[in-house]
This record gives sequence, C-alpha cells and structure tokens, in this order.
Amino acid sequence: METIQTPKGQSIFSAVATIVLGVVVVAGVGVALHHSSADPQPKEYATINGTIVGPDGKTYPHAYLTDGVYPDPINSKAHGNCATCDGGHPTWPSYGPYTHFVLPSHSYVTITLMVYDSGVSLNTPYFGNVVGTIGGTATYDGVVKSNLDPTSIEHTWTLHGLPTSTQDSLFVNVPLPLNTDSEMKAYNADPTKLPVGHKVTFSFITGGKGEYVWNCEYPCGDTTYQGFGAVMGSATGYMSGKVSVI
Amino acid sequence: MALDSEAELKPTPGERLRAFSRRKDVSQTIQLGIAFTTLFVVLGIWVYPHWMPAVHSKEMHSGRMIMTIFTVLSAPICGLVLSVAMRAFLNMHRGDNPPPDQEVSDKSNTPAILAWCIGSGVFVVTAIVIGLLAYNSDENAALADSPSALTVDVTGAQWAWSFYYPAQGIHTHTLDLPSGQPVVFNVVSSDVNHSFWPVQLGIKVDANRIVTTTADARPTILGPIDIRCAELCGLNHAYMETSGAVVSSSDFTSWVNSIKATGGVQQ
Repeated sequence: METIQTPKGQSIFSAVATIVLGVVVVAGVGVALHHSSADPQPKEYATINGTIVGPDGKTYPHAYLTDGVYPDPINSKAHGNCATCDGGHPTWPSYGPYTHFVLPSHSYVTITLMVYDSGVSLNTPYFGNVVGTIGGTATYDGVVKSNLDPTSIEHTWTLHGLPTSTQDSLFVNVPLPLNTDSEMKAYNADPTKLPVGHKVTFSFITGGKGEYVWNCEYPCGDTTYQGFGAVMGSATGYMSGKVSVI
Repeated sequence: MALDSEAELKPTPGERLRAFSRRKDVSQTIQLGIAFTTLFVVLGIWVYPHWMPAVHSKEMHSGRMIMTIFTVLSAPICGLVLSVAMRAFLNMHRGDNPPPDQEVSDKSNTPAILAWCIGSGVFVVTAIVIGLLAYNSDENAALADSPSALTVDVTGAQWAWSFYYPAQGIHTHTLDLPSGQPVVFNVVSSDVNHSFWPVQLGIKVDANRIVTTTADARPTILGPIDIRCAELCGLNHAYMETSGAVVSSSDFTSWVNSIKATGGVQQ
C-alpha cells in the first residue's frame, strides 16, 4: 500500500501557523470588544476649589461637580444639545448633561444633582438609604436627611466598583426625591417646561485612582425585568455611567 | 487434532496484550502517558490548590479537597489522551508500517474496549460517591449547626448586593461574618436572576425574585471574602461585586455596634 507522508518541517510549520492564527483571532476579538466597550459619553471633570477638613481631621482638596436627572434625553442634553438629540431613545429618562464623571483622587468631592423626573417605589428598599457620604446624609432642598421613603423615590445615584481589584473600595448610594404629579403637570403638557425640580447635594471622599460605575436603582426602565429593561439594562449614558478617579 | 492446532495457534489474551505493549508505538505512548500522568498528579496535589481561592470555611475546604481528588483520579485518563494526541500531532507514527485501511476498519479489540469502559465507569462512580459523601457531610453538619446559626438576608439587585442581619438589625453593603459560627443565607433577587457567590466560603446559590433560596456555610478561617454575581444579569454584571471578611467574634460585635451607631445602615 502506498502511503503519503507529510514532510516533518511542513508539519511543524502548520502547527505553529495554526497556533499563531488562533492567537491573532483571539487578540483581534479582544481588541474589538475593548474598543466597542469604550464609553462614548463626554466626561465631566470635577472642579477643585480650595481645601476642606474631612471628618477624619485631614485636609482634602475640595472638588465640585454638578449634574441633573431629567425625564427625557433632550432636556438632559446628555446626547447633544439640540431639539432632536436623544441618542435614539426619546422616551428614556436620562442623567445629564454628563454621565461620565472624572474625580480627583484623595479628595473631598461635593456633587449637586438637580432632579426633574417623577417616580414611585424602589424594588429594593435598602437603596432608600443614603450610604457612603460624609455623615451618611445628603441635603435635599436645604434639609439634611439620611434616607427617603422608598415608596417615593425618583431615581438613585449608586456608585460602586470592583473591590477585588487593586483600587480602593468606593460605595455611595443617594436616593433622589420624586417630583409629584402636580409638579410634573406642566411638563406632561409641554416637554419643554421642566418642573422647578429638587436640589440634592452630597459629599464623599475618594481613595486612590480607579475606575468605577454608577447606575440608578429605581426601576425606571420598561415593564420587563421588573422595570430594569430598556434604559436600565440596555445602554450606558442614560441611567448609568462611569466614574474615573484620577 | 484440528481443534488443538487452532488452539495452539490462537494467542491467549495475555500474550496478545504482551505483544501489543511491546510494539514500539504503543510502548512510547504508554511511557508518554505515564509521564503526563505523573505531571498532572504533581500539579493536582502541590500546584493547583495554590491557584484556587483561599479557604475560609469548611465548605470551601471540602470543595478544594474534592477538586484535588478529582484531578488525581482523572490524571491517567488525561495523560493517556494527551500522549496519543501528542503522538498524532507530532506525527510520531511516521515511518511505521500502518496496516491496510480495510484491516483497521474491520478490527476490534474487545479487551481494550472492556478496559476502557470499566476504567471509565469506575472513575465516574468513584467521583460521584466521593462528591455525594462530601455534600451529605456538609449538609448534615449545617443542619446540626442551624440552631446556633447567624442569619443573613441577601438581596441581589442590578447591580449591587445588600445584606440584612435580622438578629442584629443592621443593613450593610459588605458581608462580615464571625469565625466559628455557622451562617444561613436567605437569598432573593429584586429583579432578574442573580447568583450569590461568596468565593472563599465555597458556596454558590441562585438569587430568584419569587423564591427565597438558602445556603449554609461554616466560616472557620479569618480573611477577606469576595462576593460576586455568578449569573450573567445585564449591563453591569461584571461590577456586581462587593467585599467582606471572616472576622473574630469580638471584631464582628464591634463592627455590628459601629453600624448600629450610625442608625443601623452601614456607611
């Protein structure tokens, strides 16, 4: 019987080429996924203005940040400042005009949020508590509170990260008060007329450099997944985003 | 006389096995298989355990022991398969005189088939028995310990964990547990399905929205715990992690008191 044999050099070359091709394919998929996961939202850099003494007696740079929560992406301006800039989802509520915040490390950060949306109940009452802020409180229209009624919540700003990595742990949860039906009446008739809104201010201290995410814990998506479909589960840049501590 | 001649000509199974093992390709495959098996046994006993998560509970200890036993038991199979694959991959059979295709396709080796089936069956049954014994032991121990167990209510929500200690009356976002005291987790989800996985405790249980699932653990060794979601649950699933620790009883009491001092909600 005649047998056809592959030269040994050619066999080794084929093996090496197969391995190299596999590595290239896997690396290519990795690079493509990394590129597609990049946050397209513009960043808001906190402004440092002076210093402040923290509860631990240490002096920190005092950084400020302002953002808002809106019943629609056009008013939030998170996807551009124009009458049709809605990111393709005109009915989704949205933080804005920024959803990617850049904070200085080892700093005392004060965030002010203006809230203009309605709401009802949280799925998880725990997120009605103010957690991780200076004193465990936030200031709501000038009134200091440590929690809100979990059945009267608009949205939450819940910041967390990967505690198992080398970066410092950072967990902050601030529930936001709803605008009542009467407060939303003018907006419901004309979406260009926002309610007066509520002003919420809170502070926390950042650790070292790191990458974190924040999201809303109020079920403000569609009716799927207990209110966590659509805007809550589909895309960042509306009710979720990133926090970079640099 | 004719039957006696046939009996004399037909080799016994032992002779066939000896002849088979004396073939150059077979002996090389066996030697390579023994080398790989030895390597995997060494790796399984002395190296792999260092790559596994740290042990902070009896359940994790059982899990790691079972992984080691299974690795050692499966080492001969893996070694044999790898040695055959390597010979084929490196074309080590080249130069031999392969039998005609017809002969190969018609030939059957009953002893080899029996050996493979019985060996695989013994391995699988052994693995099942060892696994069931360890599982049963953990379950019985947890049941016996339950009257003195610490209860923790665990809630998974996209994309954060929260914990409530009913006896202590505290809400937390990290998970501290006293060493030496068994713990019972009542796990639920407030939206989609999650999976509660305190890695170093060696347990993992689904978090469902409607049904409360329970899991037991017996923390024994002080150290940090990583809590992860092990069920792909949406946009920020990868960030659905938090931390915790197995601490001494006195440290646990201090931790609880410090949270009570801030209104029962951990800051």
